Amino acid sequence: MKPGLWRQHLRAGLAAFEVTLRINAPDSFVLFTIVVQPLIIAIMAMWMLVERGAANALYVVVGSGMTGLWSTLLFLGGNSINWERWTGTLELMVGQPTPVAVIVFGKNAAVVFQSLLSMVASYTVAAILFRQPLSVEQPLLFAVSLLLTMVAFVSFGLVIAPLFLLSPAVQHFQNAIEFPIYMLGGFLFPIALLPGWTTPFSYLLAPFWAARALHGASTGGASLEELAFDWGMMLLLGAIYLLISGRLIERMLRKARSEATLRLE
Amino acid sequence: MDAVEVRSLRRVYRTTIGVLRRKAKEVVAVDDISFSLRPGELFGLLGPNGAGKTTTVKMLTTLLIPTGGTALILGKDVVHQADEIRARIGFIFGGERGLYWRLSGIDNLRYFASLYHVEPAVARKRIASLLELVGLADRGKEKVEGYSRGMMQRLHIARTLLHDPEVLFLDEPTIGLDPVGARELRQVIRDLQAEKKTILLTTHYMFEADALCQRVAVINKGKIVALDTPEALKSNVADLAVVEMEVFGVPQDVLERVRSLPFVDTVSLENVDQRQSLRVQTRRGSEAVPDLVGVLSGLRVGRVIVREPTLEDAYVRLVGGEA
Amino acid sequence: MRKLVLNLRLFIDGALLSYIALFRWLQPHTYLASKVVMPLAQILFFTLMGIFASGPGNAAFYAIGNAIHLASINGIYGVTMSIGGDRWSGALPYIFGTPANRLVLFSGRAFFHVLDGMLGVIMGLAWGVLLFGLDLSQADLGALALTILITTFSTSGLGLLLGCVSLVSIETMFVNNTFYFLLLAFSGANIPLTEMPGWMQSVGWALPLTRGIAASRQLIAGSTLAEVAPLLAGEFLLGGLYILLGYSLFRWFEFQAKRRGTLEAF
Repeated sequence: MKPGLWRQHLRAGLAAFEVTLRINAPDSFVLFTIVVQPLIIAIMAMWMLVERGAANALYVVVGSGMTGLWSTLLFLGGNSINWERWTGTLELMVGQPTPVAVIVFGKNAAVVFQSLLSMVASYTVAAILFRQPLSVEQPLLFAVSLLLTMVAFVSFGLVIAPLFLLSPAVQHFQNAIEFPIYMLGGFLFPIALLPGWTTPFSYLLAPFWAARALHGASTGGASLEELAFDWGMMLLLGAIYLLISGRLIERMLRKARSEATLRLE
Repeated sequence: MDAVEVRSLRRVYRTTIGVLRRKAKEVVAVDDISFSLRPGELFGLLGPNGAGKTTTVKMLTTLLIPTGGTALILGKDVVHQADEIRARIGFIFGGERGLYWRLSGIDNLRYFASLYHVEPAVARKRIASLLELVGLADRGKEKVEGYSRGMMQRLHIARTLLHDPEVLFLDEPTIGLDPVGARELRQVIRDLQAEKKTILLTTHYMFEADALCQRVAVINKGKIVALDTPEALKSNVADLAVVEMEVFGVPQDVLERVRSLPFVDTVSLENVDQRQSLRVQTRRGSEAVPDLVGVLSGLRVGRVIVREPTLEDAYVRLVGGEA
Repeated sequence: MRKLVLNLRLFIDGALLSYIALFRWLQPHTYLASKVVMPLAQILFFTLMGIFASGPGNAAFYAIGNAIHLASINGIYGVTMSIGGDRWSGALPYIFGTPANRLVLFSGRAFFHVLDGMLGVIMGLAWGVLLFGLDLSQADLGALALTILITTFSTSGLGLLLGCVSLVSIETMFVNNTFYFLLLAFSGANIPLTEMPGWMQSVGWALPLTRGIAASRQLIAGSTLAEVAPLLAGEFLLGGLYILLGYSLFRWFEFQAKRRGTLEAF
């Protein structure tokens, strides 16, 4: 690709990022998904886990932040393309020269960035309401894990956004898959509590490796080798998602163009 | 090379009826149409609602994949080379959709400018001048959700010109605009054509096609029933005169009798307020008037005019309209 | 007599229409996702978290709490959608205008959601038995069924109240979602009320579900109907109170709308 084109795509992606932030800011569904739900889960987990000494407050903050991150990606990122269809702008999106994948990337980056607020909200609640100690053991390693988490989530979003175009009943599926990923990802309890046959599924999920890295770096319980392995898995899965997303988006949009479903009638 | 080349384009929709026992039904929206646009031409696609105009435009703008036939825009295929086309065309479908309501008019335009790879410095200037052009300069900072339908339409026009496209597809662009706005828009379209842009315009207003277009294709039920300059289309009915009679309630059997008269070509009835206007196309012109009045004997007849046929009459004849 | 038959017919028509309208697009896979997988996932998540917290011996506590909580899916979402649905379809002005007994109309709508809600709870308890070894052998099943009925009834009462709020606000889903989660946290489904500060306990007792969950736990542990009767009575009365509040609010809105001529705004 010509260097000039790279720059233009980058600019378009940044524009999509900025527009999404702007549009989402006053939205109540966004507020609920990013702040209210993870906050209530954090409060519940504080009582259920911390009060009983099963885990410390930081574990709950990270874990409930992860639930917020996943729900955000599922409902907001996953509906990137569907949302354009619902608001009547999908035809314009498809008919312009920037690849839709670039736009979806920018949108997902925006919602993932916004959902970091989940972690901040949980952190604040834990510190103020429950007055728990909250120091991250390995801040630098935690920061790297957080960065890779965002990358992995954004690229996962690039795969689910076109897949969610497949059926009009997609919202039911989204509701159904929300909590299972909380469990398979080991966000608020170890996956050892789940039956053994689910473990391979956990390993295929970027959120699982992200949670492992973040829990490990925040509580200091993970060695550098273990963290590096988690990072490696996130990068690997992220690369795979990125590779298949371009083709997937193109195929799904082509299908929509063929079946005249770019516009809701 | 033609700017737009359409060959045997076809689009079939498959729908299912019924909830329990689903039956497949096929609707042919566009039925083997062919036409071409020369570069810099202002071409009109004229037809009643549901004729297939919008479906055709959606196929040409790469939003809909044809079921059969081919279409080339600037020499590129709409299905296989869509990416190359998208940067060089602009399109409006109008209506209230297609804009981000929570953003201001200017922010909408800035976003689209970046998607269309317009350099920021150029975009800034163009947005200002385009807002001026469509008369939204003082409303640009307001959120689109507060815009009237006409304003949204005008913003669409500004949007479509941001990247200075070579070919424009305007699907019923003056719908939703008040008469003054519509007239201003038509002038904008003429100016764009003067800049050597190729424009495909769809409309169901005959006078609009007549006033703007160099050539007109009349489309009805998915097929092109005529393709020519407005003058040539009018000359098709030049041998006909139109007798327009003001009537006050014409029963169906009388209407049939008028229709069956040997010298009558077409008959259409239009209701305006309390009055009805009976339009009869006939070769005999004013000579036919006494016979017509005779058939209508007993019925009250007001003003009678014999006039030259317009494009509308040609159109009525072409789509077999009897109203 | 004729009035009774008329009201009965109104009740049934309203109930049936409301339910069908809401689920007319329902197909096997969407039903599966919404009514089976989602509730199961929720029960699993919180029960496993509870087990992580306090060991597998306490699984029953969480399984019961989360199963009964499922009543709020129909109670909140189903019922508020029934009411809000009038607004979106523009039928509200016509309903305000009819001489129909509005309480009958209201009840008709909630009725099928109560039934569907009970079904959801029973499925939830079944999962508890299958996956966490919930032991129902000590329970008076009839009393348990009654408890479930009363609990879904009172949750629907809350739904009616929230539904009225939805008539004047566009943030329906936000309110619904928030209450759904607040019930999870404060009804004793996952956290024993005794572990909460005093004022939070009061909030908990003012909510539907709380007494129903407490009664269910006691019944499954072997208590008799007589022993849980006070809780059931309280739950039932609370439900009635919510319905009364919702109905009053509905009538007040109607009065305001007619007075100001803003019926169309609905």
